[in-house]
Amino acid sequence: MSAVSTLQGRLAEFDEKRLLLLATFVPFTLFFVLVWGVPIGYALGMSLFSDPTGAAEFAAFANYAGVLTSELFSTALFNSVVYALSSTILSLVLGLGLALVVNREITGGNALRTMMIFPYLLPTLVVIFMWTFLLDPNVGAVNQFLLDYGLVQEPLAFFSSTQWAMPAVVVASVWKYGSFAFFILLARLQAIDPNLYERARVEGASTWQAFRDITVPHLRGAILIIILVRGIWMFNKFDIIYLATRGGPLDATTTLPIMVYELAFRGSPNFGGATALAGIMFMLLAAVAVVYFWVFEPEQEVAN
Amino acid sequence: MLGLGKGPAGKYVSQRTQERVRRVSVILTALLVAIFVSIPVYVMIAIAFQPATTTFRGGTVNLLFDSFTFENFVLLFTDTGTPRYLFNSLIVTASSTLLATALSVAAGYGLTRFEFRGKTMAARAVLFAYMFSPIVLAIPLYVIFFTLGLLDSYFALTLALTGISAPFGIWLMWQYFQTVPIALEESAWIRGASRTRTLWEVVLPVARPGTIATAIFSFSVAWNDFTMARVVMSQDEMYPITVGASLFLDRVTIGWSETMAAAVLMSLPPFAIALFLQNYLLQGFNVGGLE
Repeated sequence: MSAVSTLQGRLAEFDEKRLLLLATFVPFTLFFVLVWGVPIGYALGMSLFSDPTGAAEFAAFANYAGVLTSELFSTALFNSVVYALSSTILSLVLGLGLALVVNREITGGNALRTMMIFPYLLPTLVVIFMWTFLLDPNVGAVNQFLLDYGLVQEPLAFFSSTQWAMPAVVVASVWKYGSFAFFILLARLQAIDPNLYERARVEGASTWQAFRDITVPHLRGAILIIILVRGIWMFNKFDIIYLATRGGPLDATTTLPIMVYELAFRGSPNFGGATALAGIMFMLLAAVAVVYFWVFEPEQEVAN
Repeated sequence: MLGLGKGPAGKYVSQRTQERVRRVSVILTALLVAIFVSIPVYVMIAIAFQPATTTFRGGTVNLLFDSFTFENFVLLFTDTGTPRYLFNSLIVTASSTLLATALSVAAGYGLTRFEFRGKTMAARAVLFAYMFSPIVLAIPLYVIFFTLGLLDSYFALTLALTGISAPFGIWLMWQYFQTVPIALEESAWIRGASRTRTLWEVVLPVARPGTIATAIFSFSVAWNDFTMARVVMSQDEMYPITVGASLFLDRVTIGWSETMAAAVLMSLPPFAIALFLQNYLLQGFNVGGLE
């Protein structure tokens, strides 16, 4: 074997490796720069100008001050927190309950699991169609049930009453997103060594004790992640609320994402305000992400 | 570890009684959840496949399914923009699924197989994007696409959809490739296969389950999407089905029967995935699931 051909082989190998390196990293980098970096940077930039899409004028933090002091902001922030907390916790309770049930390997457990996938994959619009119909004051089955059993005297217009709109949106959200917690918790449950329960039973532990001392510690990490990640997603949820109520009635379901949309696209567009609010949401998210990275170190799963 | 004998329950209630109580509560929970999940689906199907005159007979709603028809679907296709909406949905869903999956597989492979500095930063960027709010991304994308004259184009929506689906896909493939032993590739190299050939003939076949999971998640993000399409598309003939059908409820000419027929059409792909591809989907949940 001559030295030349070895060298050529090495060069070919080197080139191929470089080509692969390019083929994998260039799209990845381009993607993050073009679809994430540029828009976010652009939005943060725009948020510092008054009327950024028209006669842009540098306004420093005037947009931020305008958004933060507006009356709607505090309402929207409050609604976002209420919506995120209630829908996350209810999804978690539902998901945990059902995961414990399916993990018991009851008859029909597999059918239940398949059934749970379906709401999660359904387009949000379909979910809203279903619940708008079910909760409709004239034709809805829920109102008919309530009337038949004398629980209410008048049909309730769930999505269009200030009192019931938020609970109605939360119910529809839990219906759709409850399975997220379910699948993650089920996977964790199935990873617990069954011998632990056997030993606990032999030693006379009650069901409750076994649950408290075996199940809960194994699920703790997953539950915290669900609260954190699901909570962030629900806090930022736009489509399900917008489709159900457009943020109404009387801003009763206007959350921060709805407010961003309204600022940008309703009436006279206010992109300065919209991007400033987006910037505020970005920073809120970044703060949560810092906690997430610091406490859970999720990057350890890939970068070791 | 176990606080045995401390709790009152363990002291006073026999294990057999506990087992019975548990059994009953398990079955009760299963039943309640099954009802909660299936009633809305049943209502949708019943309204879609019954003639409107049967559903709304005599002032009350009849959901007993005593007659069956496809007339709601026929009306949906002849009287509304549904065919066009479905066509638009198919185009953007297919292209963004392809783009996001290809991007995720390539990035996942590169990120696991090459050493580089800043891996932690890359992982955090991916995770941050994965948690990000679509509407916050949609606003600047709207302005950028507006400036470039790209609003109301398949290209813009495809890019926007890939933007929200690819971070999770990348994360999934990144984790997936870690489970594919590099020894497989090394043995192929030793036998003289080039890196590229190894990639096609060894790596990609082994990575197929992860790739399918990524494709399913990207597909459902795109098929499901309302937010991005609402912002990027403003002309009726460019709307995907989610945006087009969302206007049905405001139109007096379109009733619940056609609306639910549209809902059934939109539910078909998720239904097929739940039935035939659920194992791939569950694999995706092991690394986090998606919005």
